Amino acid sequence: MIKRVLIANRGEIALRILRACRQLGLEAVVAYSEADADSRAVLVADEAVCIGPADAKQSYLSAPAIISAALATGCDAIHPGYGFLSENAAFAEAVAAHKLTFIGPSAPILEKFHSKAATRALLAKHGLPTIPGSDGVVADEAAALDAAKKIGYPVILKASAGGGGRGMRVAQDAAELSKNFSICAQEAQSAFGDGSIYLEKYLSATHHVEVQIAVDSEGTALHFGERDCSLQRRHQKLVEESPSTALTPRVREEFLARAAKAIGSAGYRNVGTLEFLVGPDGKPYFIEINCRIQVEHPVTEVVTGVDLVALQIALAGGARMPMRQTDIQPRGHAIEFRITAEDPAQNFQPQAGEISAYRSPSGPWVRFDSHLYAGYEVPPYYDSLLGKLIVWGATREEAIARSRAALRELEIDGVATTRDFFLGLLESPLFLSGGVTTSMLDDVGTAAILAAAPRRSGDQAGA
Amino acid sequence: MAKYRDLANANVSGEGRAEELGALIDALLPVLVDRLAETGLGEIEVERNGATVRVRSESLGVPQAAAAQSPSAAPAAALSSVSAARKRAVRATAVGFLTLSKEIHVGAKVAKGALVATVEVLGIPTEVRAEHGGIVAALKSATGDPVEYGQEIFLLESIGEGAK
Repeated sequence: MIKRVLIANRGEIALRILRACRQLGLEAVVAYSEADADSRAVLVADEAVCIGPADAKQSYLSAPAIISAALATGCDAIHPGYGFLSENAAFAEAVAAHKLTFIGPSAPILEKFHSKAATRALLAKHGLPTIPGSDGVVADEAAALDAAKKIGYPVILKASAGGGGRGMRVAQDAAELSKNFSICAQEAQSAFGDGSIYLEKYLSATHHVEVQIAVDSEGTALHFGERDCSLQRRHQKLVEESPSTALTPRVREEFLARAAKAIGSAGYRNVGTLEFLVGPDGKPYFIEINCRIQVEHPVTEVVTGVDLVALQIALAGGARMPMRQTDIQPRGHAIEFRITAEDPAQNFQPQAGEISAYRSPSGPWVRFDSHLYAGYEVPPYYDSLLGKLIVWGATREEAIARSRAALRELEIDGVATTRDFFLGLLESPLFLSGGVTTSMLDDVGTAAILAAAPRRSGDQAGA
Repeated sequence: MAKYRDLANANVSGEGRAEELGALIDALLPVLVDRLAETGLGEIEVERNGATVRVRSESLGVPQAAAAQSPSAAPAAALSSVSAARKRAVRATAVGFLTLSKEIHVGAKVAKGALVATVEVLGIPTEVRAEHGGIVAALKSATGDPVEYGQEIFLLESIGEGAK
């Protein structure tokens, strides 16, 4: 049983994990870098431990610093959050070697599901439909050209070890593939230390739909419905919602059940997410797995009523699945907006600086997971997420109407944010119709969305 | 944490009755140190209830003389508590378990760059070296203690420019 957890992350997710620990009656110690000494998680925590300087390589990405901090503070488990070391098999192995519990899949499982190409092949064997692609990694340019000929253009090149939207390039024809192959391999090598590339058929106008799953140590696998994360900027998610507008009820039921069954029989454990692309034909194709709790997990929590972080901790501690599939009955519609310190008018350029004024939204069925407070200094060293606004409604329309009200209530001064972009998005006919695809920002343009945002005069009068 | 770092870069001196001086310092010191940094002023002096506190930026030089001028025994007692602010902390360079070097004890002379402790990170010692020379004034941690990155291990009192 887990008694004392080291939270090895920062920002809103450190706060989220801290809340789960307290709810479960577990002690928690927040690990932080020097740049985060005044972060909300540190201020709120009963105990915190400084693990290194601002540079993530010497703090949040340093396995020795984090494990040493866990030992020095008497913790028996480490929660890695998302990003940083959350899916690092070597880290999970080192954690286990020091007799600590890694809150996530064990090292052998992270290892098994590390390669995207191998995972795709494995889950295809367990019954998941996959996008036509190369048979695993392509050895060289000639092999890539050969595979692309069989798949049919356009194709997308992907780094086998990639993630977060990095290391991908589309090729419309053989000439473009030749040009992009070595660039993509070099980028993958420098970004991930692994230059392996595989190919997939590139589906234009797709929905990005993912399935939240959880598996206990006995292999009991459940799904918690899907999330639609189609609105993306350079393959990074901006808005997530559940249920997806791209699935018909008949397709959804079969698809979700198949996903849970496949991931259980393939040997996965703990919580995870299976990502799919849904093409114009309405059929989901498996693309990759995320072996961690995800940024957008609250969307699922809000529609299912299940605390996924608490469940993740329980499963890591060896608990059996505390519910059955029939207990999970998603209800209504939830939408999450990622409020980031980025300027949409400047190509989403990240911002840093002091939050001079802050007012969080509230009200019925409005959740704002954020580490902000007035006077907080957004450090320039890490990702730009400031908070996640999650809004529930009985219907999608109600959730959207409530989201408009919540976004207007939100005030963050001192750095540019994505708030007005989302207010504009909620006026977009394409979004309102549920027709957002992964290429929406390229098709419609950020400027047009920003221009649709209602004027702020009303907000200012009330401020 | 931030306040501490500011203090390490400021010199404080004061005169007056010990009680008043102590109260004044407790109430004002953090504010004065912040103000000193904000305004860029070299020195700020505050007088209240017959007690005076002077905070001077270190870049202007060490006001050793100001402390020495104390006219009676009472302020001198107060000054000894104030003088902690003049000491520099030697801090842990990693998170883990501390081992102090054998020669580190109160009163020991430390040369700039000397290996004064190690922090054991998963069995591997990380060196802690003195950034300045001085005399060990107070131990803040002991061998075997768990320490966090940046934690004070001991305080070094400056022994002037000549110290090596």
